[in-house]
Amino acid sequence: MISYITKRLWQSGLLAFIMSLIVFLGMYVVGDPVEMLSEEDWTEQDKIELAIELGLDKPLHEQYLNFAGDIIQGDFGVSFVHNRPVLDLIVERLPATLEIAVLAMVIGLSIGIPLGIYSGIKNNSRGSRIISFFSTIGYSTPNFWQAILLIMVFAVFLKWLPASGRGLTNSMFGIEWAWLSLDGLKHMTLPAINLAIYKICMQQRLAKSGTQEILYQEYMTFARAKGITRNRIIRRHLLRNILIPIVTITGLEVGGLIAFSTVTETIFSWPGIGKLLLDSIHMVDRPVVVAYLILITLMFVFINFIVDVMYAFLDPRIRHQK
Amino acid sequence: MNKSQVLQIKNLTVSYPLDSEKNAELKALDDISINLNAAEIIGIVGESGAGKSTIGKAVLGLLDPPAKMLAGEIKLLGKSMIGLNETQYESLRGNQIGYIYQNPMTALNPVLTIGEQIIEAIEANTNMSGKDSYNFAIHLLERADVSFAKDRLQKYPHQLSGGLCQRIVFAIAIAAKPKLIIADEPTTALDVTVQNSVLQTLIKLSKEEEIAIILITHDIGVVSETCDYVYVLKNGKHIEQGETVEVLEKPKQQYTKSLMASVPLIEKRLHRFSLPNSNSEINSLNLDYLKEERNIEFSSQQAILQIKNISKTFFTPASIFKPSEAFEAVRNVSFSVKRGETVGIVGESGSGKSTIGRMILGLEDLTAGSIIYQGQDLSNISNNEERLKHQLSMQCIFQDPFSSLNPRMTAGENITYGLKIHKLIDANKAKSLAEDLMEIVGLKKEDANKLPHAFSGGERQRIGIARALGYRPDFIFCDEPTSALDVSVQANLLNLLKDLQDQFSLTLLFVSHDLAVIRQMCDKVIVMKDGKALEKGNNDDIFESPQHNYTKSLLDSMPKFSGIATN
Amino acid sequence: MIDYKKKLDTLSLQIKSIFSGHPIAIAGLIGFIIFVLTALLAPWIAPQNPYDLMILDIMDGLLPPLSKLGNGNTAWLGTDALGRDILSAVMYGLRLSLFVAFVAVSIGTTIGVILGLLAATKGGWVESVIMRAVDLKVSFPGILLALMMLAIFGTGVDKIIYALIIGVWASKARLTRSSALQEMQKEYIDAARISGIPSWRIMMKFLLPNSIAPVLVMVPMALSGAIGAEATLSFLGVGVPITEPSLGLLIANGNDYLLSGKWWISIFPGIILVLLVLCINVVADRVREFNNPYLKHQDRQ
Repeated sequence: MISYITKRLWQSGLLAFIMSLIVFLGMYVVGDPVEMLSEEDWTEQDKIELAIELGLDKPLHEQYLNFAGDIIQGDFGVSFVHNRPVLDLIVERLPATLEIAVLAMVIGLSIGIPLGIYSGIKNNSRGSRIISFFSTIGYSTPNFWQAILLIMVFAVFLKWLPASGRGLTNSMFGIEWAWLSLDGLKHMTLPAINLAIYKICMQQRLAKSGTQEILYQEYMTFARAKGITRNRIIRRHLLRNILIPIVTITGLEVGGLIAFSTVTETIFSWPGIGKLLLDSIHMVDRPVVVAYLILITLMFVFINFIVDVMYAFLDPRIRHQK
Repeated sequence: MNKSQVLQIKNLTVSYPLDSEKNAELKALDDISINLNAAEIIGIVGESGAGKSTIGKAVLGLLDPPAKMLAGEIKLLGKSMIGLNETQYESLRGNQIGYIYQNPMTALNPVLTIGEQIIEAIEANTNMSGKDSYNFAIHLLERADVSFAKDRLQKYPHQLSGGLCQRIVFAIAIAAKPKLIIADEPTTALDVTVQNSVLQTLIKLSKEEEIAIILITHDIGVVSETCDYVYVLKNGKHIEQGETVEVLEKPKQQYTKSLMASVPLIEKRLHRFSLPNSNSEINSLNLDYLKEERNIEFSSQQAILQIKNISKTFFTPASIFKPSEAFEAVRNVSFSVKRGETVGIVGESGSGKSTIGRMILGLEDLTAGSIIYQGQDLSNISNNEERLKHQLSMQCIFQDPFSSLNPRMTAGENITYGLKIHKLIDANKAKSLAEDLMEIVGLKKEDANKLPHAFSGGERQRIGIARALGYRPDFIFCDEPTSALDVSVQANLLNLLKDLQDQFSLTLLFVSHDLAVIRQMCDKVIVMKDGKALEKGNNDDIFESPQHNYTKSLLDSMPKFSGIATN
Repeated sequence: MIDYKKKLDTLSLQIKSIFSGHPIAIAGLIGFIIFVLTALLAPWIAPQNPYDLMILDIMDGLLPPLSKLGNGNTAWLGTDALGRDILSAVMYGLRLSLFVAFVAVSIGTTIGVILGLLAATKGGWVESVIMRAVDLKVSFPGILLALMMLAIFGTGVDKIIYALIIGVWASKARLTRSSALQEMQKEYIDAARISGIPSWRIMMKFLLPNSIAPVLVMVPMALSGAIGAEATLSFLGVGVPITEPSLGLLIANGNDYLLSGKWWISIFPGIILVLLVLCINVVADRVREFNNPYLKHQDRQ
């Protein structure tokens, strides 16, 4: 068990290292920061001085070490557009992204998985067909199109919910949260639903196929032959086994949530890190894009690690691997 | 009869609707009647497709969805089971009827401990709970001859051997003191030495707990050792029934007679299985090609293959956290094979017998030792052409008929593809050669155009043999070629192999876990265990006066069947 | 001798057995074929060439559906701000969206299959490098990766195809490798090896045809995924150039007018996009279901 975890930890470290290398090469070697930062009236000498100041005259590996060193110290540079430290910008906007992502996650898991298990067990029943029909439509509709439709229906025609911004926020532990006020909650609803619809459909599909795969295992028939009641078989034998694929899916979906929050936040003008990223891409605010990428990478590495550890807890076959 | 009747099946008919045509159906069981008394073990025997397993499932109410019970009556302890709903069945399963699967590893839930799985069965079927059910679980495991019962409760299935898992399945099955246990091929997945003791446990439980047992099996030896009474089935139809000794040794029906004649015997070696001979003379146009460069020194005493002190060690891949672990699959084995003879290697799973063949064929490297084939050390041939010539004259007949042919090529292409690549035959002759080879192995010419999935297991093995013959081999390695086949198919295939060996002067190295098959096929026998050759000798010596203790225990644990009583 | 007629017959028989008795999947297949034909024939059947800015008349701008244009033609689905006929724009947009997705998925799948086969057959460091690269890719959401690539390298039809290929190859490589490894356990591969058949022939003639099925089953899914991803990226303004609008960009263009009641500019491309993806997905689901042994079991009920 411990060797399994150390192995995963080591692999996570390696993954983070490679990703930082790719980001570094992509951002600093493919593009030319001097051209980006210099003003029109600068002389060649000014540019060379800037290059020296940025450390671009040093060999590549030294540049990388400086880059990595700064990151480890939490120094991601200063935004061109906002003229503030990048880390401050991101930390400031993170809560907004987290609150809709967590809400969407909770909605997705609590609706998608039960529906999936139900339609897996009662495959070919009327209920299962209806669920699958809607879920197919749901995941066939691109996220941004769902957002537009949600705005059209709930904001424009029905005028029930606001279509943009975060509304009033209240402070908790020194952080501003929207979910602490009614107005904030109203603003949260559409973006969170937008993120959640796709989750619900995905979870439903994956939980359904997972359920069916397990239902046809021999130990399920043997459990019936043992004289155990159907409810108990589902509770104990099905759920225990189905947890394994579900944990994987959930881990992967956290990544998906963060990725699609860029789309949702842009459409709903939700001031989170996703909107920050897209704005920065459009305004070529390179330090912000780099910092976002690095932080997101670290987050994915961390999530993958957690998923692997959860596996070991859920599946004794992995736990006993030497 | 003072014994109480436990199960009565009357005129049971079960059918599956067929995909292809509407209203067409396959009768998995056709008018089957069975009676079973307490503490009695009955055997249901038949080859694949006989419908044996369907009987068990019908009794348990676990028929696979499209299957339907068309007619008949099933009575358990005098009460009819027809028309019970799922809840009523649930109270019968486990409580009155236990079930034992073929593969214990897949019958146990991999993420629950043994303890959890036994205790839930106890609590579902008795009033026990808490400490009582825990203690009863230990008691049950001990009844099923599981050693260290207390420790085993904490384990997960993957941590235990197949034999132990099967005993645990027994313990679960007897948790509620059922009146009836249905055991579906309970020892097929186990090695022969384990099989014997597991069967003894089953017999013990039946007698001591007064449980009636239906033993479903294809293995005549198992039936003859275990069952009081036997039913023979074929394609869902009842063929014959009676006291075990009567049916096995004095069968009345033609099918049963030929089935019994197909069972390889351990007592004495026969020239051929006494089956109706279907092999007619073949006048192949390509016979000249196939027999070319042959008949040199056939039956001379010269060794065609010498194995000198070969070893094979497998290493698990090393990583930073774990040095690589070594597993010695073959340890310092030597033997030689003379032209035209058949040498057998017998051993249980993991004994290294197949690895030896793979090394000879060049599929695995040697860790140590050398292989001398036709006078040349195979690792020392530098000339590519010569190496290929040697390589092609050694062929293999594989174990699994369902994976040994390329499913995307027709039978004919499978046979001649390599020959065309090496330009051993003209492309325009390939078709006629493939057809001739099909006939030589007892298949129809026209079927050379069919894809592998159109053939049965036995037929596919024949195509595999035809493919090997195309290369005009001197030496064929037979890797358990019949272990996946029904016993009558096996007998026919073994007869064919002997015929071909005579016709084409073949030398065979024959690997099997089945002592009786080795007894019938081989001139010399090597007994292997854990990578070591424990004993070598002539067929008669090994089987009639074994020297090594392991050989003796193997022979002792073989289920005994002495064949049809000859007059 | 390869009997093509026979192969064609077995193929059509298989298609029949996949779809018969599944009206929704048949509808999806027919819908998809109609979309593909429309895309192929767009230059001939579209009322105007939406890329030709010379023929546009700003006077025709923002007309609702069924309006008459200045030149006497009817704009069945209305016009956009530049006076472009929405019906034509949707046909050309469909053409571009399908083209980008088809190219990206076929190149990505080919790369994935080749890498997967190499990883399975070569083993050692080749396998390690390929599979670590796959892990790296898979641990990162595709849409984010594409966004990054387009941020670095700029936008354009070729760039978005590259970005989508990056999204496709990895899962196909993983699938091919695991399926090829399973095949390699089988004895017919050993039979080919002991008969001295060269390893590239074993790979192409034995391994490839027998391990490609699970990958092909996933291709429709990848196609609809690529269409959705391209639409999303173009909607966000980092996809196809403004001069050659795909469905996603058409929706983005109309998005600004939605609140002022000019719904037709976004809604029609949006409906077509959803229908296209839906058609592919119902076909994909049926194909997957047909190939899944667990589901097949119940299918016969």
